[in-house]
Amino acid sequence: MKRATLVAATLAMVGLTAMAGCGAARKSADRYATTYFTEAKTLNYFLLLDSTAQRVAANTQDGLVENDRFGRYVPSLAESWTHNDDYTVWTFTLRQGAAWVDSAGQRTAWEVTADDFVEGLRYVADPANGIKNVSTIRKVIAGLNGYYYDLLDIDEGKDIGMTREAAEENFRTVGVAAPDPRTVVYTLTKPTPYFLSYLVTELFFPLERAFLDQVGAQDFGTSRERLIYSGAYYLADWQRDKQIVMEKNPLYWDAASVPVKTVSMQKVTDPAVSVEMFIRGELSATGLQADQVKALAGTPQAEFVYPAEISSVTYWFIQNFSSDNPEFRAFVNNPDFRKALYYGIDRVKLLSLYDPYNPAGLLRNTVVPEETVVDENGRDYTDYPGLAELKAAGDYFDTDKARSYFAKAVAALTDGAGAIKGVSPATVDMKPVAEFAVDGKLPLQMLYVHSNDANDTKMALLLQAMLEEVFQGQVKLVLGQYVDDKFNDVVEPRRFDLVYDSFRFGFGDPSAQLSRLVTDGGINDGRYSDPEFDALIQEAEGENLLSERYALFSRAERLFIDRVYVIPFQVGGGAYTMSKAVPFTYPRGGFGTTRFKYKGMIVEREPVTKARYEKLKAEFLSEMESATKR
Amino acid sequence: MLRYMLKRFAQSILTVALVVLAVFMLLRLMPTSGYFSREDYVTMDEAARTAYLRTLGVLDDPFTQFGRFASALAGGDLGRSITVYPRTPITEILAEKIPYSLWFGVAGISVSMALGLLLGVMMARYKDGPTDWLGTAYVVVVRAVPSLIYLFLIQTAASRLLGLPMIFYADDVSSWILPAASMALPGLAWYAIWLRRFMVDEENKDYIKFAVAKGVPRGKVMTGHVLRNAIVPLVQYFPTQVLLTITGSLIIESIYSIPGMGGLLVYAIRQHDNTLVQALVLIYSALVVAGVFLGDVLMALVDPRIKLSSAPVEREAA
Repeated sequence: MKRATLVAATLAMVGLTAMAGCGAARKSADRYATTYFTEAKTLNYFLLLDSTAQRVAANTQDGLVENDRFGRYVPSLAESWTHNDDYTVWTFTLRQGAAWVDSAGQRTAWEVTADDFVEGLRYVADPANGIKNVSTIRKVIAGLNGYYYDLLDIDEGKDIGMTREAAEENFRTVGVAAPDPRTVVYTLTKPTPYFLSYLVTELFFPLERAFLDQVGAQDFGTSRERLIYSGAYYLADWQRDKQIVMEKNPLYWDAASVPVKTVSMQKVTDPAVSVEMFIRGELSATGLQADQVKALAGTPQAEFVYPAEISSVTYWFIQNFSSDNPEFRAFVNNPDFRKALYYGIDRVKLLSLYDPYNPAGLLRNTVVPEETVVDENGRDYTDYPGLAELKAAGDYFDTDKARSYFAKAVAALTDGAGAIKGVSPATVDMKPVAEFAVDGKLPLQMLYVHSNDANDTKMALLLQAMLEEVFQGQVKLVLGQYVDDKFNDVVEPRRFDLVYDSFRFGFGDPSAQLSRLVTDGGINDGRYSDPEFDALIQEAEGENLLSERYALFSRAERLFIDRVYVIPFQVGGGAYTMSKAVPFTYPRGGFGTTRFKYKGMIVEREPVTKARYEKLKAEFLSEMESATKR
Repeated sequence: MLRYMLKRFAQSILTVALVVLAVFMLLRLMPTSGYFSREDYVTMDEAARTAYLRTLGVLDDPFTQFGRFASALAGGDLGRSITVYPRTPITEILAEKIPYSLWFGVAGISVSMALGLLLGVMMARYKDGPTDWLGTAYVVVVRAVPSLIYLFLIQTAASRLLGLPMIFYADDVSSWILPAASMALPGLAWYAIWLRRFMVDEENKDYIKFAVAKGVPRGKVMTGHVLRNAIVPLVQYFPTQVLLTITGSLIIESIYSIPGMGGLLVYAIRQHDNTLVQALVLIYSALVVAGVFLGDVLMALVDPRIKLSSAPVEREAA
């Protein structure tokens, strides 16, 4: 048993209590009104399919732990926890008296008990319930993968020597148990020092089995009445495509930390309407795109605009190492050419399409996001040697370096007269994206594939002109297009030379992305192969002391980027906001669900000015540094 | 008449069934990868993706699926949405949304019909005068300018000027005014310009000139003869327009945040929600077919010269 964790949990609780005290002392408005653009498809919190549903789930359901305003994992329905020495068995002690309430905020017959967490995982693990995210944890919890595939095989009609009922009985072999009503024990497949980061996802939320049986599996979460609530709010109103109203749960275990009593969300389809409603005083907060910021220039509202939080999603360019285009295939397997691309893409210029005022603010140079993964000493993963320099490099666009690397690649790959060695004229068939002829000579032709989104199209045209200029006409970008939601059908089957992609950061460890980028990794879209990188990742995965582990991962990531297997270029999120909610008073985090909580949020009568935001940010960063170190 | 109605009813049922079958089968041609986000697609293996598709019921043979759909439909069950509002009974979704579309649609049609017909009569009555010019200018603006421009202008400028809410709130009557007015604008122009055109056509016919020459008062000529005959071609479309209010208005419901039916079909198609699409196609095609049928009947009632049956007309002896 690790006392350190107990101490950390206690300290976190002390911090939380102090914060709660702060929250109670500071006066907040009772109501927070905002807008949303995508309807919550369902209230079934295991089936989260969109950001609105995530927000509702975060505020109406609690898990064992949650993010605090610094992004740390602090007690929620679990008041403490311990783990064994090798981080394979985690034991959580639940707080007493946490109640399930109904859609009128009334106490139900049920309390949140350890069984609810077992039932939650049982629900998630059954393929018949269609929980897509279960893939994230199937190989984390002992026995879960086997249990899932047994049920799946039976549902597919395969004979595995047992009935579905018998297979369901085997859930007792899955690594979750409730030895008593206040204790939940998870047994994991391998040492997982970052296991707490999984617990802020909806996959580990509790489920009251008796209620599920009462409403039926099909109807569970299809209306606010067909759901019960364990979080800081209950759902007082939900009109599809109209509004969501959450009222403070009167029986909430941490009611003192919930200053806002009503959260009202109106659906709008046009961001401009949201901004206008904010200006008229109908909303407490609104998001703004760069063009809207421009429209507000010179108005009294301009002083209220400040940058919105960026997300942990990283966009990166991918090169196809086994392209059907023989010219590109010859070049992409040359490290100097990849370096030439690395320095030759003016990412800031591309990002000015999304934010003309501060495009560099959208830059990201690493695969793993900053301020998302922190070691036991409070050190950010991206501050480790190798990555810290990358992060500090900011905009590294350099025409001279790009040309120099390109010249080296040309010298190695052509015969001196512009003919690419080993490449004959051919027709490149990447239909339906593109079909084009290559002559086996410079200029190099490469296919850049983009979606039909207006900004994506502009970016493609900009990139085309940019590469032609940087490489003095020796690189010609052929443009191919796909319809925005058809990437999986059209592009993924290797129909590109260069494309960009992005993936969710699923849990609090660099392996969330890096382990999927190895040679046989699930998001190795480029199909490169690097045994040295694979070996470093494997070594890092075997290390349980976080600082050692992150040192190994950061070495691997630096090597990965130095060899230009992908080119990170943009953070997710960004844009701007105007808000009466005081920044940094509410939870944050880079992944999972609980970061969307409104718990702790202070809402004032007047909007926060940009100057005040900057001051609050500076104070917050200083506080966070000491808090995470502690 | 009864025989005609029975025949048309049978044709209507067949038409709707064919439309639904065609759409049903076409939906099954869509690639199943559309059911997965990029993240899901790479995170789930082939077996997990297959299992998920099975929970949606989209892997069975299309004819088996159609049989299942038809037998449930016979019992009044439209099924459950699979991706737009996963697992929610479609009847529940429709029960929530139809009243909004119906209310605003009927309000819009009532206003546009009342004012549009009045404007059309006035434009025809005072042809080439200021009323006609102004009316024509209004019609040209409404029909030539992209609707989003003037609708957005109404939403922002008019709401500010009149102190009205920018979006719809069910419990605030003042928030209903702008969407209902916006709903009426294009219909008003449509009724006005077509009625004017048909009335001007009628006015130039010999029987009208004859009536005027005989000294029948102009007002009586306009209402008793010109208007009555000019409205016949318009009457045919009334039932369809009223019935199709249920389908909602994509743009107006969207900008005023009205949780109606507008856009639901498009969204369901984009989300590959087969069950919802086929339910909506069934309803919409039935409404169109019923609207056309009722339009024919109404036209026959308004214009005694139109006979729906092919029974021989007895001629009076000369």
